[in-house]
Amino acid sequence: MRDLKHLIYFEDLLQEANNALVRQAKDEGKLALGYTCYFMPEVLLDLPGCFSVRLRAPRCTSPDMATYYMSNRLCHYARSLLERALEGGYNFLDAQFSTETCVGACRFSEHLEKLPGIINNEGFFVTFCDVPFKRDQNSVDHFATQLQAHVLDELKNRRGVDTSDEALMKAIEEHNEVCRLINEIGEYRKLPNPTITGYEFHVIQLVSLVCPKYLILPYLRDTAEEMKTREPEQKNPFRCRVMVVGSENDDPDFSKLIESCGAEIVCDRYCYGAIESRVPIEVKEGETPLQAISRHYLETSNCARFMPQDEMRLRKERIAELGHEYNVDGIIVVSNKFCAYWGYERVVDSVVIPRDYGFPVCSIEKEYINSASGQLRTRFQAFVESIEIKKIQEGA
Amino acid sequence: MKFDFNAALEKLKNTDYKKLAKDFVYGKPHGERRLGDLYEPKTGLYKHREWRGIKDTMYYFNNIWLYNYGMIVADIIKYSKGDLPAVLKGLWRYRWMGQTYLTVMHWFDRGLEGMRGEGLRASAWHYRGIATGAIRQFCTMFRADGNLHGGKHNDAWQHSMAMNETVWGGLFYPWADKYTNVALEMIPYFLTAHCNNHVVLNYIDAAQGIGVPGDNCPMCQAEAGIFILDDVPDYAPFMISVNEACDDSVATTIIQDWLFQGPLCSLGMPMRFSDPLVKQNCMNDIEKVWKFIEEQTGTAPNWDLMKEKLALQNANMRWEWEKWDVAANTNYYPINSVAQALYRIYTAQVGMYDIAPFIEGKVRKIMEKCVDEKINPYPMTRHRAIAWSCAPLYYSNWCTWAYNCWGINTIINMDSLMMDMEIRTDTYEHMLEDCAKYHMEAPMRRMAVGGMDHFLEVFEYMERFHCDMVVMYDQLQCKGAQSMHGIFEDEFRARNIHAIWMPHALPDKRVVPRAEIRRLFNDYMFTVMHEEPLDPSLLDFDDSESW
Repeated sequence: MRDLKHLIYFEDLLQEANNALVRQAKDEGKLALGYTCYFMPEVLLDLPGCFSVRLRAPRCTSPDMATYYMSNRLCHYARSLLERALEGGYNFLDAQFSTETCVGACRFSEHLEKLPGIINNEGFFVTFCDVPFKRDQNSVDHFATQLQAHVLDELKNRRGVDTSDEALMKAIEEHNEVCRLINEIGEYRKLPNPTITGYEFHVIQLVSLVCPKYLILPYLRDTAEEMKTREPEQKNPFRCRVMVVGSENDDPDFSKLIESCGAEIVCDRYCYGAIESRVPIEVKEGETPLQAISRHYLETSNCARFMPQDEMRLRKERIAELGHEYNVDGIIVVSNKFCAYWGYERVVDSVVIPRDYGFPVCSIEKEYINSASGQLRTRFQAFVESIEIKKIQEGA
Repeated sequence: MKFDFNAALEKLKNTDYKKLAKDFVYGKPHGERRLGDLYEPKTGLYKHREWRGIKDTMYYFNNIWLYNYGMIVADIIKYSKGDLPAVLKGLWRYRWMGQTYLTVMHWFDRGLEGMRGEGLRASAWHYRGIATGAIRQFCTMFRADGNLHGGKHNDAWQHSMAMNETVWGGLFYPWADKYTNVALEMIPYFLTAHCNNHVVLNYIDAAQGIGVPGDNCPMCQAEAGIFILDDVPDYAPFMISVNEACDDSVATTIIQDWLFQGPLCSLGMPMRFSDPLVKQNCMNDIEKVWKFIEEQTGTAPNWDLMKEKLALQNANMRWEWEKWDVAANTNYYPINSVAQALYRIYTAQVGMYDIAPFIEGKVRKIMEKCVDEKINPYPMTRHRAIAWSCAPLYYSNWCTWAYNCWGINTIINMDSLMMDMEIRTDTYEHMLEDCAKYHMEAPMRRMAVGGMDHFLEVFEYMERFHCDMVVMYDQLQCKGAQSMHGIFEDEFRARNIHAIWMPHALPDKRVVPRAEIRRLFNDYMFTVMHEEPLDPSLLDFDDSESW
């Protein structure tokens, strides 16, 4: 396939958190608001005069200083973020909006608050939201209260940001346009011979998370337009189609590694993926924008921290539905090392999904940055071969 | 070897008979006891029992050893309510039961080693309180257990309620006259790990055997392992789960949920519990649980009963505060650290049960005697320590060792300081509001989640309890604690506080053996504190195969 026009630029934007578009927005006087978890609605951080940055720590392979603070027994993602902060990589941030949804990411934000001068930016502050473990109305109301107090009121009182319903509606509109474009691009993955690879899509999805929306939108529009006429390879170079399911994953090289083994990623149901984060927000009749946002994020999340019995079972059904929708041959379930939730969820997925839904599963535990590529390559190659053998047997 | 008559005669001549007689009557003074010589190598079993002087040895034998053996039998008869065969079957059916019941008195011995006088007496009553509470729980499970009754669900099953061990027992007070609630993992995993630490290893291995990563909390792994190995009694028609204490606890329910077939209601406790805005959500969720129980049992809650039970619990809380006051401000507190921690965490979590007022009455009498007569039960105290973070279950009696060997008296511990409040009963709204707060401040949670400042409260408590040393539990798989390691190090240095880090893996002794814990302690005391042990025989011994 012909290279996407903006792909190299997108890749460049992912090389550091403080990328060219972030710097441009800062120069224009916008507030840079950091967050890590899906439960911190990015749309609230994209209010007029602000822009959201979902934090990453690209190329951080040895978080030595952070390991002193957090020990080497904590999620590499959280440690890498802290390392990058200690190196000064997040000094552009005006605030960090955190949730106590998993201990690693939460403790990272707490260190930003606790360690004096770690973010060298006057007026920098950290705020925390409580996120419920269910999706019922009690939880939606609770979440809305939290978002009002710890996001909107903080932005308004500390930085004079307009948090009116009109401003929220404007942010929702912009957010939905990003969602529409990403989904439009993502739809090409459903083709029998997709005109976009999993790696390319991963890169595009990530730039939409880490760059100011108003600055990345023109590039996304361009890319969506380009996709309309993009021709696929004459012969599909991949040997099977897979879905990646699991915990935090903002490393496009991981997608590249999987695809280099012959498995094309056609669906990304993981934290930082597009499946949940790019569902447009719908404001229903009678709802305020904040209520709609609160409901939306609880409804769309597939996080393993949701506890009710029916939710746990629905998560598996959802994976199976996506598997059918994207016509996958297999599912790769990934958890980051030291991720408590996905350590367990991965185990149950790898038992339940093949047994109850018939999809082959490859269960992987990985580091934040994909340093063990040799071992993982072997696993993925074996998985691809097993899928091929299964196909041959089914054909016979 | 040939008998040397002259040498024997010489020895007899040089013997200080007055001292010998004194030691016989009163026991050897601390420093001369050489308690480490009593152990059989590896097993931790005693070559012979410790001679504590006539009075204390007799007390130990009659009022602790014999009395508790007798009471264990009596309690089993009492709480089995005529279904003794079910209890006996339970011994065979469940590994955690079969491997634990014989080790109970050794658990007493380990925790009470070297103790004398009022300290021995008061601590033993707390052990008794836990033992009888545990018997009540497992007898209730076995009487109702479908696995032990040919798959049939009897009346006891219909009248039992199951919950995660971190669900506060007080939530079930409104049904206490008709139904019995039993925490699911508390006996199979938590208490058995204290009595016989070998038992739990099997469950941890089971969880890892199906792919759960070894770096997850071993407590949660063990809780999942009980389900994986089908070692859970089928004793109740429904279950209440909870997200407490941490991410791993939530994750455990992912496995438990798939293996529990009955209706399950999950209670979601807010993480940012200091935020006043979370209260309403928590109250609403508790009410949902009550509604679920009402629907499942077909029985309306009895709020008068709730009030009555809470009154007892509040009285117990006030008594606990009296104890803390004596511990903090005097040298007369008679309860040793392991008894303090285990009994407090047990009663606060389980809620009020029938024998608790009796136990508290006995302990009050002893403590009042100590205060009135200015008796210092731990006279060889060199350091007053606070133990912080979560404790090793396989070595909860480390503090008895630390006092005997080094004179480190652990005055208070983090687990004791949870659920530190009375619950108002004047109106339903007040009661509900306080229940929510009480539950959110549960064991392991009050300090470990909701912001790192909670964890750093150790320094306030150090001051309040007049401690000069911190024993910092370093649970290697507790991400909430591990992720604050550097902050603690910085704070200890900045405040010039002596802190001994104690690495461990909750119930899994294979990760950090007990001998290694002692070695780290010894290193610190020799090299940093430049102190000599009170009992050198306890410095290094092999108890690797001990219960």
